[in-house]
Amino acid sequence: MRLVPADGGPPVAAASARRAGSGRPSLKFDRVGFSYGNRGILDNVSFEVEPGEIVSLLGPSGCGKTTILNLIAGFLTPTSGVCLAAGREIAGPGPDRGVVFQSAALFDWMTVAENIAFSLRCAHKSRRERQAIAEEMGALVGLADRLGAYPYELSGGMRQRVGLARVLAAKPTVMLMDEPFSALDVQTRETLQEELLRIQRHTGATIVFITHSIDEAIYLGQRVFLATSLATGAYDEFAVALPEPRDDPENRLHPEFIRLREIIYRRMRSGSGQGNKAGGR
Amino acid sequence: MPREKRAYLIVAVLSPLAVLALWTFVTHQKAVAAIILPPPEAVLASLIDMLQRGYSGVALSTHIGASLTRVTIAFVLGSILGTVIGLIRGRVPILDAVFLVPSEVIRPIPPLGLIPLFILWFGIGELSKILLIFVSVFLIMMVNAHAGAQSATVDTVRAAHSMGANAVQTFRFVILPSALPLIMTGLRVAMGTALTILVASELLGGDRGLGFVILDASSFFRTTYVFAGIIIIGAIGLASDRLIALVERKVVHWRGRQQ
Repeated sequence: MRLVPADGGPPVAAASARRAGSGRPSLKFDRVGFSYGNRGILDNVSFEVEPGEIVSLLGPSGCGKTTILNLIAGFLTPTSGVCLAAGREIAGPGPDRGVVFQSAALFDWMTVAENIAFSLRCAHKSRRERQAIAEEMGALVGLADRLGAYPYELSGGMRQRVGLARVLAAKPTVMLMDEPFSALDVQTRETLQEELLRIQRHTGATIVFITHSIDEAIYLGQRVFLATSLATGAYDEFAVALPEPRDDPENRLHPEFIRLREIIYRRMRSGSGQGNKAGGR
Repeated sequence: MPREKRAYLIVAVLSPLAVLALWTFVTHQKAVAAIILPPPEAVLASLIDMLQRGYSGVALSTHIGASLTRVTIAFVLGSILGTVIGLIRGRVPILDAVFLVPSEVIRPIPPLGLIPLFILWFGIGELSKILLIFVSVFLIMMVNAHAGAQSATVDTVRAAHSMGANAVQTFRFVILPSALPLIMTGLRVAMGTALTILVASELLGGDRGLGFVILDASSFFRTTYVFAGIIIIGAIGLASDRLIALVERKVVHWRGRQQ
């Protein structure tokens, strides 16, 4: 069910190399359904994400994409089907699957360093260890000189950097990102996209990235899932064949980027439903 | 000092001085009888008299000490217990159900209405007075802590869980700090109420306490002493409120600054 670039574009080198190293998917949904009472949100949704892969989940509000993220995070339990992370059924939240929230959801009563080292505090690590990780991750996301500040003293972009560093500090195998950059200005947003890709190359974490933005979905994702109505189990899948390194800002002007943007845009406008998945209406 | 802050302080000082000036003016115009509203200097004279010679044979410091002891014991115990139970109620629905009806039945009863019962049950000694204040403080703190326990956002709680926090850690690092702003506000409201109830509780009898001074003076139409007593209680109220507000600003430094 894996898609290869349809028209002979360059192979997705990094992802396939990582894929070769591991036999089992990082994330796997097998005929997953979810409903609140009799209101169906997801029905019969199946997909796999390979270790180290970045998948963008694109779709309008209310299509069920955040529910998918909440299921992976373990905040919700599926009504039917199974959700697996690293081959094991997901049974609640855990530091192996970090979440970066749209609202940043930082702890305003803690300094930046304390926010970043929170997972280590929960794991009863020593003060010295926590300080070392806070410094390391703070430097990685460009906040080395703001470690003593409180979140309310930071700009929106810096707050999301803290949210990212806080997740990285737990050394997760999967990072779940729920429109983390959507409230930021364009420049900050693009900078953070590039830095996310740079950091991901460094950590090798699997990323599921939820967004409203077609550009963001294509720039970040090795695959883009376009969800129209997951209540019917229908989605479209696009392989993104952009050259490595993916964090090159020039990729935003690449013909493949432009081409995919047009295809996805038209598909979104036409209402989709004729996805590659059986069960579309 | 920033300009806005200086202006704030100036107005905060000028406003009571204006009231004092109006009070002086009205009383010197003989617009009201001195027994209804005595002039400020007569009140000051009574205050000085009490400081030097006490009231009804007891030193003023003893009256103040007796009142402060009652308020402090009741305030500390009431706010600790009220906060603990409020937080639990806010997080554990089944325990909330246990407390719901009893606390909501008691809450609308004015403390004065409890006085006859408390006299029957606990006599007219210290216990009744302290319990009366305690109940008021407890109920206020329970309501505030209950609301506070529910003010953590879904995202911050989820963030904590996904970073490996267990139930105790989530409470300690997320739920409790999120509840602090409402708990601190509760403390300020409860302190004001405690001082109000103090005067009422000293209706229960006894021969010391600021409430006793006010009630005793009023029954002998010694209006200047009534005012002096009121001013002392007011000053205690102002000082305790400023103290709690100061602690609040230090403890809840993020309040009103969240993005």
